[in-house]
Amino acid sequence: MKFVHIADCHLGSWREPKLREINNNAFISVIDFCIKKEIDFLVIAGDLFNTALPSIDSIKLAVCQLKRLKDKKIPVYAIAGSHDFSPSGKTMLDVLENAGLLIDVSRGETVEGKLKLKFTEDMKTGIKLTGLLGKKGGLEKNYYYDLHRENLENEKGYKIFLFHSAITELKTKELSNMESMPLSLLPKGFNYYAGGHVHIVDQKNFKEYYNVIYPGPIWPNSFSELEKLGQGGFVFVENGKAEQMKIEPKTVISVKINVENKNATEAEQEIIDGFKEESIKDSVITLRVEGCLRKGKITEINFKKIFEDLYAKGVHFVMKNTSGLKTKEFEEMKIKESSAEEIENNLIEEHSGQLKIFEKEKEKELTKELLQMFSVEKNEGEKNSDFEKRIKEMVDSVIMETSST
Amino acid sequence: MTKGLVISGEFGNILAREKSGNKIELGELLIAKTSEGKILMQVFDLVYGSQLSQQNLELVSGLRLEEDTELELIDPKLRTYTLSKLKNILTIKNNKAMSPKTLPNFFSPVRDVTKEDFEFMSSHVPNALYFGDLRSGSKKLDVPIYLNGEKILSHHILICGTTGRGKSVLMSNLLWNIIDKDYCGMLVLDPHDEYYGRNKTGMKDHIQAKEKVEYFTPRNPPPGCRHLKFNIKQMLPHHFNGVVDWSDPQRQALYAYFKAYGRDWISSVLLEKEIEGVKFFEGTIAVIKRRLMQLLKLEVHNEEINCKGIFDLNLGEGTIKDIVNSLEETKTVIIDTSEFSENVEILIGSLIASEVLDRYKNYNFEDLKKKPVVSIVLEEAPRVLGKEVLEKGSNIFSTIAREGRKFKVGLTAITQLPSLIPRTILANMNTKIILGIEMKPERQALIESAAQDLSTDDRNIAALDKGEAIISSNFASFAMPIKIPFFDLIVKNEKQEHIPSFAGVKK
Repeated sequence: MKFVHIADCHLGSWREPKLREINNNAFISVIDFCIKKEIDFLVIAGDLFNTALPSIDSIKLAVCQLKRLKDKKIPVYAIAGSHDFSPSGKTMLDVLENAGLLIDVSRGETVEGKLKLKFTEDMKTGIKLTGLLGKKGGLEKNYYYDLHRENLENEKGYKIFLFHSAITELKTKELSNMESMPLSLLPKGFNYYAGGHVHIVDQKNFKEYYNVIYPGPIWPNSFSELEKLGQGGFVFVENGKAEQMKIEPKTVISVKINVENKNATEAEQEIIDGFKEESIKDSVITLRVEGCLRKGKITEINFKKIFEDLYAKGVHFVMKNTSGLKTKEFEEMKIKESSAEEIENNLIEEHSGQLKIFEKEKEKELTKELLQMFSVEKNEGEKNSDFEKRIKEMVDSVIMETSST
Repeated sequence: MTKGLVISGEFGNILAREKSGNKIELGELLIAKTSEGKILMQVFDLVYGSQLSQQNLELVSGLRLEEDTELELIDPKLRTYTLSKLKNILTIKNNKAMSPKTLPNFFSPVRDVTKEDFEFMSSHVPNALYFGDLRSGSKKLDVPIYLNGEKILSHHILICGTTGRGKSVLMSNLLWNIIDKDYCGMLVLDPHDEYYGRNKTGMKDHIQAKEKVEYFTPRNPPPGCRHLKFNIKQMLPHHFNGVVDWSDPQRQALYAYFKAYGRDWISSVLLEKEIEGVKFFEGTIAVIKRRLMQLLKLEVHNEEINCKGIFDLNLGEGTIKDIVNSLEETKTVIIDTSEFSENVEILIGSLIASEVLDRYKNYNFEDLKKKPVVSIVLEEAPRVLGKEVLEKGSNIFSTIAREGRKFKVGLTAITQLPSLIPRTILANMNTKIILGIEMKPERQALIESAAQDLSTDDRNIAALDKGEAIISSNFASFAMPIKIPFFDLIVKNEKQEHIPSFAGVKK
């Protein structure tokens, strides 16, 4: 028995074409590996795409690569993740499933108010798979509370559970403020818990929960992830033994430079010196500059020239982060919240309960879902009127759904 | 309805003759009207009264007993009666309550209280927390008692009563009523595993349980709950104060190891690592090691530490932080400590309570104002707040009792033996919820430290039946007699139908 577990591919996530291409190549290299190793099946634990309605290019890439697997008779079992599942219930996975390129294993029926999930059996190995999709803001947690567990836990044979949620017991310190759910919400007794959503690489065993695994993204999705992970990854499982595999289409060099108490010219030199020893050809460079300049403006550091020099030395791509760079000439401004999502959540929490149309919790959920909808982008070639109509329909359906529950 | 007339007495000890047929009960609330308003009084004692001399009474009873004579008194209702001793509690004037400063007039009629008499309490109470219904004697009145939960919880609560008088029901009610409030996080150390309701009705049945209740247990956590694990690297020597009775050399050794090895101090003690330039008596380290291994259920084999209990080398790194975060998010965190020894339970409480207090102490004044109160529920409170324990040194709970309210951290201490708690700490417990107590020294300890004058309430407290209580609080206008509702009834009345939705799951 051989299978590969990936998650958080986020196809189409990077705006920068060079980084998007690396992400695409990482996905292609996983498919190459699957074919080369003649695996039995591929598991995708959510967020194949970065949005519910991805760009044509991303769809084309996914279709081409999944078709390669189909041609080799390697089935793909997947669930939707928080990024590729729209609040109105639409996901591009439906299209891929209808084209016979993958099977969404998040299926079940409501029995006496509980969700009774069904297993999908892999024809070749007899392995049984099921799982639950991920939703924005960890809203899928409610599904787990209403899960019919007996049929899942009593099922015999090798079982895989796909989930796209942060598990509290596996959260790292940096993720301590992330919405998560306790491990006990997952059904017990599966042989493998294929996780996604949290961009960490981790594998843990707990009593009654063996092989709870996050493979991490196939390629980092943000500046800080590039710094922290430096590479992508997936899990290759052979005869029950799980092995974390690396994907490194480009070498990532993360450089952190502290320019505390220097003037702008000294700081610029310090940054240039930071690359002297490094073998940087064909690499992706992340440059984080921190500290408080004694004198001069941040804009006086000639990053443009530094970048040009690096590209001249054959660097594939370079990006910088100066959020921790300050100058004594300007007053410091503190923003407590660490992410846009957190600020959003705090504001929603602060103002919820004012409408009095729905219960406070429902109102919060609806607000989050509506915000998510309003951030949907217009498709290529889509008319303004069609785009408006599409958004309106999505909003209507969510409001109707909230009203009816 | 007129129940009697004021006939004599003094301030705080007014005598009223009972109207025949109108049984006045101990603890009953009565109203006397004056030209200025109303005086609310409470019965604290009942005695017989008679127009006949003691000699004549004895003669009449002798005739009935020895001569078998059915001797009838002329106008018996006039000649024999009951006298009630009343204390004035409040003066109510223009719907406002004030401390009483006058006596009711001679022959003032006293009557039953009505709902309308307590309209002064119906004005908006900020952060209202429901405790029960007002009680007059054994009669429950349709007057719900709400007090400012934020104030009450931050200034500590003491719940005391003999076993079986309703301490747990009261605590369950309070927790239930607090769950949906946004001004308080509750940490419950639950040695009987009774509050979450694993196998019965409990906090898990609250409509907001998913969002607002967290349950940590060392055994088979129900779906949505957490397996209890603490990382030993999170433990500091002071967490053991009040848990283990270290000698001075042992304590010095603990701190020396912490100084030398930081967060790895426990494993360093267990592996008997040496500290450069410091020598300890061999026996000291051996005792520390043995005690730590016993308490934390750790074993050492071939220079490797095996974790057999809830304290782990690798897991549980985020537990304390997660719990404190949840408390700050106004959640109720229940920790099942039913499987642990008393010392382990106190250690767990100490780990979390220290983190809560430290974090709150570090907030600046403006930030702290926005934070919710955190209250720590302690069963059998004298285990950590008892005189004997504190003589050996202070612990985090006594620190919270003394200075926690400044930082919005409070205790909800439960005990049947309040006399074991030092007076200074009892005095800091600004709200006392007193249930029936048979033992006089226990009643005395409460009476002496109550927020209101309960000096005449000794009998009242002794006579409290199951589910009856008196709330004495700095935040209440008088010592309120209450009837505690049944927990199951509260839950039943609040149950709502839940219609789940599973959008996105295919058929």
